[in-house]
Amino acid sequence: MEFYLKVLEITCLYTILVLGAYLMTGLTGLFSLGQGGFVSLGAYTAAIAFLKFHLPFPVCIALAVGLGLVVGFVIGLPTLRLHRDYFLLVTFGFGEMVRAALLHLAQLTGGGLGVAGIPKLVGLPTIILSIVVITLIIANLKRSRFGRDCIAIRDDELAATLMGIPVYRHKMKVFILSSAITSYGGALYAFVIMFIEPNLFNWLESAKLIIITFVGGINSITGAIVTSVVYYSFGEFFRFVDVWRDVLLAIAVLLVTIFRSQGIFGNWELTPGKLLFWRRKAV
Amino acid sequence: MEVLKITDISKNFGGVAAVTGFSMIQRENEITAIIGPNGAGKTTVFNLITGVYPVDLGRMWFYGTEITRTPAHAITALGITRTFQNIRLFRNLNVLDNLKVAFGVKFRYTVWEEMARLSRVRREEREVVDLAKSYLAYFGMEKYATYFPYNLPYGLQRRLELARALMPAPKLLLLDEPGAGLNPREIRELIGTLLKVKEEKKLSIIVVEHHMELVMNSCTTLHVLDFGKKIAEGRPEEIKKNEQVLQAYLGDEV
Repeated sequence: MEFYLKVLEITCLYTILVLGAYLMTGLTGLFSLGQGGFVSLGAYTAAIAFLKFHLPFPVCIALAVGLGLVVGFVIGLPTLRLHRDYFLLVTFGFGEMVRAALLHLAQLTGGGLGVAGIPKLVGLPTIILSIVVITLIIANLKRSRFGRDCIAIRDDELAATLMGIPVYRHKMKVFILSSAITSYGGALYAFVIMFIEPNLFNWLESAKLIIITFVGGINSITGAIVTSVVYYSFGEFFRFVDVWRDVLLAIAVLLVTIFRSQGIFGNWELTPGKLLFWRRKAV
Repeated sequence: MEVLKITDISKNFGGVAAVTGFSMIQRENEITAIIGPNGAGKTTVFNLITGVYPVDLGRMWFYGTEITRTPAHAITALGITRTFQNIRLFRNLNVLDNLKVAFGVKFRYTVWEEMARLSRVRREEREVVDLAKSYLAYFGMEKYATYFPYNLPYGLQRRLELARALMPAPKLLLLDEPGAGLNPREIRELIGTLLKVKEEKKLSIIVVEHHMELVMNSCTTLHVLDFGKKIAEGRPEEIKKNEQVLQAYLGDEV
């Protein structure tokens, strides 16, 4: 039982990160390999603030989110002027830069030894509540102006500009919000796993977040969440297949991209209305 | 009343002079056409007006406000909208959402209100749905509201683009080859629609067009471009007889 709870905890934790990536890559089409940088940033900020500076727990979390916002803004300022592959390369550089910095700023971060002895202050209820709130926010944005503008930008930047959307400023809002969500996820991570080290989130992990949003379907938040839950829990239960896990994932991704390019869920969203209707039909 | 005033704008791409010293004045509630052979720089003029490219030289005013250096999205917000030569609808948004995107500049709610979906967001969203549906009805497309644009026939995609350009109630509408790919019957419908829209919405329209039938039957003034330069300006009857224009289209007499 304990094992299953632990798996669920980690799965839900990663789902928060997937939601951050969904906003950025799924909705707006910004391919960022720097999400890992924001996870580490959030995790380290919260952990160090708590252990070294003895700040109260909520303040540590707020600090992590705040730093995510600020760094998101600073990184976004030059990179959001870039397009597609260039943006991807620069964000990739940012993620690796954070990793290198954490490794070498040993006095503050403990270097390669990481930070140990973080108390477990976050449990499943907090994580699930966070997912619900973040999902609500993103879903609300998706079905009004903000989300429509995101999709318009992803589809055709020039046409979006000529619809009166300030593309650069809009991308900035998306980038900052996504960074904040991701840093928040990172901060929770520290207080769930109780140990962090610089390599905990490299660019491969960032890439997985993008792959999950695409397999689930870039037009469906439901798809991102379900795929994330399946993937991360699947990973824990199939530890015995060892390195073949990644091969299995690769095959699954290939099949989806070939036979269902719009993602498993396409445009389908699970709305409260549909949920009620389904229950009524069942009864 | 001068809607748009352009004085001597030029644009070079590398060594190619796409537009050289183009000037025009657009008056209120009129339809004007920019015509010319392929590659004459007609679409470039549109791209300069809407701010897609910055002009190299010259200045532009919209209702007395200078827009020479105004960014593209702000020009749209001032009230200039356009359609595209090759249709540019948003393929991941359905017909209704395509129209809603165009209304974007007019929403009053903020991002924070959106996140919590407060009552103002819900109210304005309801209003925009009604507005979008009224435009679909206007163009006889009500039943396609939930279709995705790539599932619509070509003619309807063109109409949808026109509807989208009308959504934010613009003062000046730029149509880039609205008749391209339409059959003669559809062209006649389009002429009717343009004249009707112009009267009902109190619009000024500039069209870039090849179809002489459309231009001659709906426009009051024509500007003829050739190799980026304006070679003639006048009423349709005058242009028809203009020697330079005939030369540009048909070549020199042997």
